[in-house]
Amino acid sequence: MDVQPDTDPAMVLFSPDAADEPHKPYRHLLEQCPVARSDNGSISGAAGASVLISRFEDLNWALKHPEFISSEDAVAIGNDRPLIPLQIDPPEHAKYRRLLDPEFSPKKMAALEPDFRVLVNQVIDQFLDRGECDFHEDFATPLPSTFFLRLTALPLSDLPVFLQWRDNIIRPDVEPGDFDAAAEIRAATGKEIYAYFERALDDRTAQRDHGLLSRLLDAEIEGHSLTREELLDICYLLIIAGLDTVTATLDCMIHFLARHPDERRRLVEDPTLSPVVVEELMRFETPVMVTARTVKQDVTLGDVELRAGDNVTLVLGAGNIDAEEFREPETVDFDRGRNRHLAFGAGPHRCLGSHLARLEVRVALEEWHRRIPDYRIPDGAEFHFSPGIRQTDTLPLVFGSG
Amino acid sequence: MKVRVDAATCQGHGRCYALAPDVFESDDHGHCMVIDAELTPEQEAAARAGADNCPEDAITLTDD
Repeated sequence: MDVQPDTDPAMVLFSPDAADEPHKPYRHLLEQCPVARSDNGSISGAAGASVLISRFEDLNWALKHPEFISSEDAVAIGNDRPLIPLQIDPPEHAKYRRLLDPEFSPKKMAALEPDFRVLVNQVIDQFLDRGECDFHEDFATPLPSTFFLRLTALPLSDLPVFLQWRDNIIRPDVEPGDFDAAAEIRAATGKEIYAYFERALDDRTAQRDHGLLSRLLDAEIEGHSLTREELLDICYLLIIAGLDTVTATLDCMIHFLARHPDERRRLVEDPTLSPVVVEELMRFETPVMVTARTVKQDVTLGDVELRAGDNVTLVLGAGNIDAEEFREPETVDFDRGRNRHLAFGAGPHRCLGSHLARLEVRVALEEWHRRIPDYRIPDGAEFHFSPGIRQTDTLPLVFGSG
Repeated sequence: MKVRVDAATCQGHGRCYALAPDVFESDDHGHCMVIDAELTPEQEAAARAGADNCPEDAITLTDD
């Protein structure tokens, strides 16, 4: 993709092939318009002006100042009320994070590692003998969703409907730019999601199980239980965030490692590198390209005036290749000492599931490369990454060094 | 050398105790706690790696 200098910045980022090689649009934004006003709507699907912020320093400031750049009402994805905790700003937000952070803490996640490692191997067993697979379909999709359903103790047989909801919400099947049709699909899907979790919560109100929903039913904030609406608003966010992002991350990382045998060999020969590989590829690939905000108070950034009510697109992926922060930013360097990447955001809305994601991705890479050290994308394979959250539509791999 | 974490700034990224488990540890929320503010010379490099990788700039190292 070559970017013409006068192209609208939002269109640069959300053109159909932008997510295949996102560094090109990121570079364009960083060099030409690090704070850019676009007239072509935003990732929220809302029509109207949007401001794109791309430099590391500006993103860091925006993420840490919700009193100016707010997460409230920033993205409408079929939900009737703000998602908890993402769309509640401080100080209200802290009480929900105090409740939810321990559920997703590194200590809690470490206890899940053996169980997850077994699951990874079971998934690999399904296709190893074939000598090939569709990585996206056979591995990256079932792995995190199966694990999510275990954590929430929801029936595995519901997975197909969950995946359909996820697609309806995150990448509704409409003509590019048809925001009205997308909003219609999201609203209809939202109703189904609320109804599903109403029933799931009713069942667990009658009889508790070992899953996360039952623990939320018993949880207390400042001496009172969560209301039904609060519970639903948490569940809605968990299903959207829990089913999609790790799939995208696995697609991005295996795609990179399939095409970079030297880096792959380092990981195969030294599996203890895996945490570093995860952090560096989180930075370099930034599976979640952008996150949405709205301006709460007028503020000037660079020489652009942001006005209360403006949509804001925080281009996390651009910040992650900003040479002001990262030495040789477009090189993957597992020996990079300092790596304060923004792939999980920063500030009060730092990704709640980041430690679950890190565990899943690290263990998946370790087991995959232990069992399948050599693999490649067959010549002529056609696939694309979706903009926004960078998943492939298909990612064919053949195993072996041939 | 001494190390200090600003609890109000920490958002629980967990990079510090992943990189320097002898210097930092996690509370039940995943937020950082300093194990012993007084660093031994052997701990200094790991503490610096933890500080360098904190996305919130919550960790300070001082010479006194």
